[in-house]
Amino acid sequence: MRQKLFSLMAVLMLSVAVMAQTSLKGRVIDDATQLPVVGAKVTLANQNISTTTNAAGEFSLLYLEAMDEEMLIEADGYVVDLQLINLLENQVNAMDDIVLKQDIVSQAQDEILLNLTEEEMTDDEGRSQSQASSSSASTDVFNSNTSFAWSTARYRNRGYSSNVENYYIEGLNFSSQERGQFNYSAMGGLNDASRYKEVLNPMEATNFTFGGIGQSTNYMMGASRYAQGWKVGAAGTNRNYKARVNATYSSGVMNNGWAVTAQLAYRFSPYVDNKGIIGEGIKYYSLGYFLTAEKIWDNARLKLITFGAPTERGQNAAVTQEVYDLTGSINYNPYWGYQDGKVRNSRIVKSYDPTVIAAYEYKIDEQQKIKAAVGYHYSWYSNSALNFFNAPDPRPDYYRNLPSFYWDGQIANPNNETSAGQLFDENGNHYPWGLFIGEDMKGVNLGSGFVGDDGNLVGPSVDKDMYNNLVHLWQTRDNKTTQIDWENIYAANYANNANDAARDTITSARYILERRHNDIQEANASFNYVNEQFDHLRMTLGVEGKFSQGIHYKTIDDLLGGNQWIDIDAFADRDIKELASNGGFTQADIINVRKNEVAEDYDPIVKADGRRYGYDYRINMGNAKVWFQNEWTLNEVDLYYALQLNYSMMQRSTNMLNGRAWYQTKIAKEKALAGEEIDPAIYYGHKAYDQIEAAQAAGQLKSGTTYVGDAHHFLDPAFKLGANYKINGRNHLKLNVLAETRAPFARDAYISQRVYDRVLDQIYAHDNAKSLKDFYAASEKVVSADLTYEFNYPIVRGRVTGFFTQSWDGSELNGYYDDEARTFVNQAMSGIGKRYMGIEAAAAVKLGTYFTLTGVASVGDYRYTTDANSITSAENGMPMTQDKSTKALVFETKDKVLLKGLKLSNGPQANASLKLSFFHPKMWFADVTVSYHDWNFLSVAPSRRMQGLYTGVRVDGTDVNGWFGDENANAIETTDGQMLRVTVDEAGNAMYENAVLDANGVPVLKYPYNLMTMQESLAATNPLNRFLIDASVGKLIYLPNRQSVSINLSVTNLGNNTHFKTGGYQQARLPRAVRQGEKDYQNSIITANAWKYPSKYYYAWGANFFLTVTYKF
Amino acid sequence: MRKSIYTYAMLLAMPVIALMTSCEPRELTEDDVFVQESSLDQILEEENGDQGYKIYDLNEFLDTFMTEEGSFHSDTCPYRERSYDATHGIYLYSVDTLPTNGAGIYIRGRITTDDYAGNFYKAMVIQQIVNGEQQNLRISVDLGSSAGMYQLGQEIIIRCNGLAVGRYANQPQLCIPSYNNNIYAMNASQKVGWCPGRIQGSVFRKATRMIGTPDAKKIQVDELTLADLYTQIALKPTADAAGMDAVRKMDGRLVRLKDVHFTGQYDDNGTIKNCDTTDPDSEGGGGANVFAPSTQNIGYPQSRLLGDQGSNKLMCSSSEYAKFAYYYLPGADKNGVTNCKNYEGTVTGILGWYLDKASDLAQGKLDGYEWSVTPRGIPGIGVMDIDMKDTHDEPWVPKEYDPKAQQE
Repeated sequence: MRQKLFSLMAVLMLSVAVMAQTSLKGRVIDDATQLPVVGAKVTLANQNISTTTNAAGEFSLLYLEAMDEEMLIEADGYVVDLQLINLLENQVNAMDDIVLKQDIVSQAQDEILLNLTEEEMTDDEGRSQSQASSSSASTDVFNSNTSFAWSTARYRNRGYSSNVENYYIEGLNFSSQERGQFNYSAMGGLNDASRYKEVLNPMEATNFTFGGIGQSTNYMMGASRYAQGWKVGAAGTNRNYKARVNATYSSGVMNNGWAVTAQLAYRFSPYVDNKGIIGEGIKYYSLGYFLTAEKIWDNARLKLITFGAPTERGQNAAVTQEVYDLTGSINYNPYWGYQDGKVRNSRIVKSYDPTVIAAYEYKIDEQQKIKAAVGYHYSWYSNSALNFFNAPDPRPDYYRNLPSFYWDGQIANPNNETSAGQLFDENGNHYPWGLFIGEDMKGVNLGSGFVGDDGNLVGPSVDKDMYNNLVHLWQTRDNKTTQIDWENIYAANYANNANDAARDTITSARYILERRHNDIQEANASFNYVNEQFDHLRMTLGVEGKFSQGIHYKTIDDLLGGNQWIDIDAFADRDIKELASNGGFTQADIINVRKNEVAEDYDPIVKADGRRYGYDYRINMGNAKVWFQNEWTLNEVDLYYALQLNYSMMQRSTNMLNGRAWYQTKIAKEKALAGEEIDPAIYYGHKAYDQIEAAQAAGQLKSGTTYVGDAHHFLDPAFKLGANYKINGRNHLKLNVLAETRAPFARDAYISQRVYDRVLDQIYAHDNAKSLKDFYAASEKVVSADLTYEFNYPIVRGRVTGFFTQSWDGSELNGYYDDEARTFVNQAMSGIGKRYMGIEAAAAVKLGTYFTLTGVASVGDYRYTTDANSITSAENGMPMTQDKSTKALVFETKDKVLLKGLKLSNGPQANASLKLSFFHPKMWFADVTVSYHDWNFLSVAPSRRMQGLYTGVRVDGTDVNGWFGDENANAIETTDGQMLRVTVDEAGNAMYENAVLDANGVPVLKYPYNLMTMQESLAATNPLNRFLIDASVGKLIYLPNRQSVSINLSVTNLGNNTHFKTGGYQQARLPRAVRQGEKDYQNSIITANAWKYPSKYYYAWGANFFLTVTYKF
Repeated sequence: MRKSIYTYAMLLAMPVIALMTSCEPRELTEDDVFVQESSLDQILEEENGDQGYKIYDLNEFLDTFMTEEGSFHSDTCPYRERSYDATHGIYLYSVDTLPTNGAGIYIRGRITTDDYAGNFYKAMVIQQIVNGEQQNLRISVDLGSSAGMYQLGQEIIIRCNGLAVGRYANQPQLCIPSYNNNIYAMNASQKVGWCPGRIQGSVFRKATRMIGTPDAKKIQVDELTLADLYTQIALKPTADAAGMDAVRKMDGRLVRLKDVHFTGQYDDNGTIKNCDTTDPDSEGGGGANVFAPSTQNIGYPQSRLLGDQGSNKLMCSSSEYAKFAYYYLPGADKNGVTNCKNYEGTVTGILGWYLDKASDLAQGKLDGYEWSVTPRGIPGIGVMDIDMKDTHDEPWVPKEYDPKAQQE
C-alpha cells in the first residue's frame, strides 16, 4: 500500500469501553519486505511525545490529548515519514500498518562514511589524522545532512577532537581508554553491523551513558532489528579498495523467540601501481564477519554479538606541496616502490578486532527496566615501517631528495639587509657579487635576487641543468627517485653481510622492515536501571566498569636480506658516549648486552620470528563510572540533570629493561646520594627500575619479566543539566549546560612511555596532592553550554544552536626530530586551554511532492586560549643541554609554548551546504549537494613556538642553542644582561609587550616571529575551490515474492576539485645552520628559511564514485 | 534455499581465493641487486646503444674533464675570491660539468672509506689499481650515512654524464656544481661562488651500479714510513700547476704509515698545542687527549698530530662523530699525554691535502699540516686502522674517556 506524505488519515475507531483514555497504537513495516521495522521512533510533534517500535514493529502511546497531530516516523535506513492524524478522545486510535520506504542513498552513504573513517587512520597507533564524524543516519536535520556531506572536508562536530565523543555498543563503552577514540576498523565493511544506532547531540540527556561535550553514539546490534531474509550485494569504487562483496542473512524473530543475523563482507584491492590515481601503491584485503543472536522473552531479551574484520591494507602519507606539485598529483604515495617488478608498500596495516558482547534487558514492570552488558574486545593493530641503522634515509620524499633543498643555502637573513638591498657578513664585509645566482630553474633571470612570497630573497643553489634534472626525475615519476628503492636496500644489507663475514663480526642490518604493534584488549561491563514509577519523572542509574591494557612492542617483518638486527638505539649509540661504552645502556633490553658491535654477549635477532624488540610495555587502565540522571517531562518544559563520578587509573609496566631508563635512574640516584638537588618529578616513577636493580642485585635479572611502575588514580566529577521549553508543539527552546573534569588519557600522560615511566609534572603533583587544587592539577576542566531553537512544521523543520565550550589544563604529547639536540625528542604539553564557540543551523524545506531543499551551516571559532607548559626530553636519554651556570647536564628542558590565540586544527570552522533531494514514490532517489568550507587551519608545531626560540632562554633558565635572527639586529637587553635577538617580526611588528618581564627577567612575548610560526589557512586560494559537489542517484526495484534490488551510485567531489586541502601539519623540525669560522663563530643557529621543512598536507580525493547493487530475497 | 546459499558462498569465495593468492614480490637475491662482472659490458652496451661508452681510469678521467679554472665562473658569478690566486693561476676550487648526452662516461673503483671516522659522512673515496698503482677519487654524495649503502670494499661503476668534476679545497671529486653563499660562514663574503657540491642522493643511486659483493681484501694499501711519504709528496707544494697536480693525484690515497706515534698535540687554529684538556665534552675541550672532542654539535674536523722518531709530522684527522672520538690517544690516559710517545706502530688511513685559502699558498704560508690521514677505526671499533705497541711490546688497548675515572 502506497503512502502519501501529508495525507490526512482516517483513523479507525475501536470502541473500547474499558479504556477511558486517549491512546494510539500501530505497527511499522518495511515497504519491500512487509516485515516489521524494529526500533523505529514514532513522535507526536504537537504533544512532544515519542516511543519506539518493538520486535514486532508495534508501538503504542498512552495518555494522549485528543487533537489533530503530526506523527513523525523515523528509522535508520528509511525515509522519514510524516503523517497527519486526528486523535479521538477516550479512544484507542489504531492505525493501519505504517509502511516505511528504504533510504538506499543514506544506506550507501553510511557505508562510504564508515570506510572513509577507517581509512583515515593514518598513524602508527591507528589514530586518525582527522577522523570523520561517525554518525550519518540521524533524524536530526543538522546531523543527517552534515555527517556525510561534510566528511570529505573532514568536518568535526563543533571542532572537537574525536576523543571527546562517546562510542557505545549495546551500552558498553568502546572508546579507547588510552586515546579516547573509537576504532572503526573493528567494523570494517560491516555496514549492517553498524546500521542501527542512537546518536545524541552533545550534552543531551541520554539513557546509555552520562555523555559529554561531544556526541554520544550507541550502536544497537540485536538480531531482531534486522529484516528477515537474505541480502547480498556488490560494490565497486575507485577509492583505496576497489570492490566489495557482502552477504547478510537474518532469520527474523522465530517461533522459539530467537533471532539470528549474520553478515560477511569482503573488501579488496590488489596492489595498484598506476601512478597518480586514488589508492596508488595500496593493497587492501579485509574480511569482516558479524554474528548476532537474540532471544526474546515477554519481559526480557538476551543479545549475543560477535564481529571482527581481519584487514591488511597499505597506507599512504601526507607530503609537502612541492611533492604534490612535482608529481602533478594529489594521490602521490611515497610509501611504495618496485621489488621484483612488483609494487611493494612499506607501510602495511594489519588489524583484527574480535569483539564479543552479551547484553541483557529485563523489564521489571511497565515502569522499571534494567539493562546489563559485558563485553571483551581484543584489537590487534600494527603497521610496518622501514627502520635503518647507519644508512641513508630510505624515504623518497625526504627533504634532501627534493629540488627545494637546493634553495636552502640561498636564503638571505633579512636582518642583515640594508635598505639598499646590499648584504654584509658578520664582519661587516660587503658581499661583492650579491648572494644569488642569476637564473632560477626555469631560466628566469633573478637579477640580484628573487623576492619570495615571504619577502626573502631566494634562488636555487645548484646548476640549472642539475636542478632541472632532479625536477625532471620527479615530474616523470622516476622509480628510483620518487619511490622506495628496494633494490638498493637489499644491496646494502647483502653488502653488510659480506663485510661481516670478511671481518668476522656481527653488525646490524642496515635496513629492516619492522612492525609496530599497538594492541589493546579491553573488558567492559555496564548496568543501567530506568525507573518511571513517578509521574513525569524518569530516573536512570548507570554503572560502567572497564579494564583495558594497551600493549606496545615491535617485531621484525622482514630482515630484507640482512643477517641480523641488533637491538640498540641508534641515536643513543651515537650521542651518548657513556651509554655506548658502558655495555648495554643503549640496548632496548639490557639483558642483551653488547659492546660496540663486537660480538660478546648479545643476542641479535636473526629472523623475523615475532621476537619483540625496541620496546615492550603495557599500559594498564581501569575505569569505573557511576552516573545518575533525572528527567522530568512536563507540559511546557522538560528538565533533566545528571551527575557522574568517574574513577580512572593508569599504570605502565614493561617487559624490557631499557638501558637508557636505567641509566637515567642511576644518574638520579647518584645525584641524590651526592646531595644534589633534583627535580622530584623527573625521577618520579622509576619504581619499575628499582625492581630491576633489586633483581640484578639478587642475581635474578632475566628477560621477559614484567616490571610494574606506579599506578596513578584519578577521580573526576561531572554535572550537566538541561531544559526543553516547549513554546508550542512546533517550536522548542533547549538549553544544556555541563561542567566536568577529565583525567588525562594515558597517551598524553607519559612523556616518553616507550622508554620509562616519567609522567607529567601535574600527575606528580596530583599523586602527592595535599590540596584539592593539586589533586585536580592533571585533570582537564571543561564547562560547556548550548542553546537550541528547534522548529518542526510540515513544510519546514530544523534548528539553530549556539554553543560555547571552554577547557583548561589539557595535555598533549608530540614527538619529533629536534635539530638542536640532533635526536628524536618527546614534548609533553600541559596547561592547555581551548575554547569552542559557534552556531549550527539547519532547515529542510519541502518543495512540492518530490523535492526537498536542505540548507545547513556551521560557523565557529575554535582556538587555544592559553599558552602551554612543555617538557622536552630526548627519546634516547641524552642530555638536552647544560645549565648555563653550573654546566650540569640537563636531561629535560621546560619552556612555554606560545599557543594562545591559535586556531585548533580540527577541520574547517566555517561550513555551509545546500542539498536538493528528490524522491519519487516509484522508488527513485537522487540528491545533489553543494558544500562550502572555509576557516580550516594548519596544525601548528609546538616546537616552532617555544618561547626560548625568541628570547634565547627557556622558562627553566637554560640557554637555547640557536635563536631566530641575528645577534646585532634589533637586540634589546633584559635586566640580567641577556641579549634578545629579535624584537620585531618580518612585518615590522613589535614582538614584546611593554617590558613585562617573566621570572627570568625576559620580556614576555606578545606573539612570536611570524615567518616561522604563522598559522597557515588551508582554504584554497581561489574561493571556487572551497566548494565540493556530491551527488547520488538510486533506484529500488521491487520483485515478486518480497524480493528487491537496489542500485545506488554515489559520486563524491563531482567537480574533481583537486585543490581542496582537508588538513595538514607543520613539521616540527627547525631549520638550522652552522655559523662557521675558524674559532669563535662556531655556533648552531636557527635560520629564517621557513620552508626547509615545509608543512605537509592532506587533500580531499578528487572525483570518486561508489556503486552498490544489493539484492534482497 | 540451500542452492542459493551455495551460490552466494561461491560468489563470495571466488574473489577471496583469487586475490588472497595474488603474488607478493619475492625476496631479492644478491644476483638481483649486484651486477656481475661478466654481464657488465652487455649492460653498458644496452644502456648506451649507438652512442658507445668508455670506462675511464680515475686519473685519466681527471685529466680529461677537470680543468684548472673550471667552467663555472663569469662576470656575474666570479671565482671564489678566497681560493683564487691570479698570480700563479691556481684555483683551489673548480667545477666542470660533464656532457649529459653523447657517449657514456664511466668510472669504476672500489670504495675505501666508511664513516667510522666521521669524516666521510656524505663522501666516499673509490680506488682503482692501474698498473699496480693506486688511483683514487673522492665522490661527494648527499646521502646521510652513505657508507651504509655504499660500503667499504664495494666496487661500483658510475655513469658520470650530467654530473661534474671539480676541486674543493684542492681535493678533486666527482660532484655537481653548487653555488655557495653560506651567509653564516666566517668571512662569508670571500667564500661566495661556485664550488663542488654533493650529488643528490637519488641521482647518484640512479647513476651507480654495484659490481658484486664488497671485498675489502682487494683494496690496496701502500705501506710506508713518514719519511718515505715525504719523498713521494711535497710537504709544502709549490704554488704552480705542477705542484698542485702532484698534490691532487695523491689525494685519497690509502696508506699504512709505519713507525709512527701520536705526539699528544693538536692544531689549535694554526698553533700546535699539547692535548692537556681533561674534559672532551666541555666547550673549551678542544684540546682533550682523545681523538676528537666535542665541537658542541658543530661537527668540524678534529686533528691529532702523528710523528716519527725523526722530525716528520702528519695530522691524523677525524671528527666528533667518529666511533672512536672519545677514546684516549694511544698512551694517553686521565693523567695526560706523557706516555704517548711510548706507543708506536702503524696508522692506516686516507691521505688528504686540504687548503681553501689561495693566499697561503701564494705567500708561502703553508705549515705542512695541510696534509692529513684519516683512519677508519681502532681495534674493536670498525676496521683496525691503528695498531700500536708500547716499549714492552704490549699492544695498545683502546680505552674510552670516562668522566668518573677522570675525577678519581
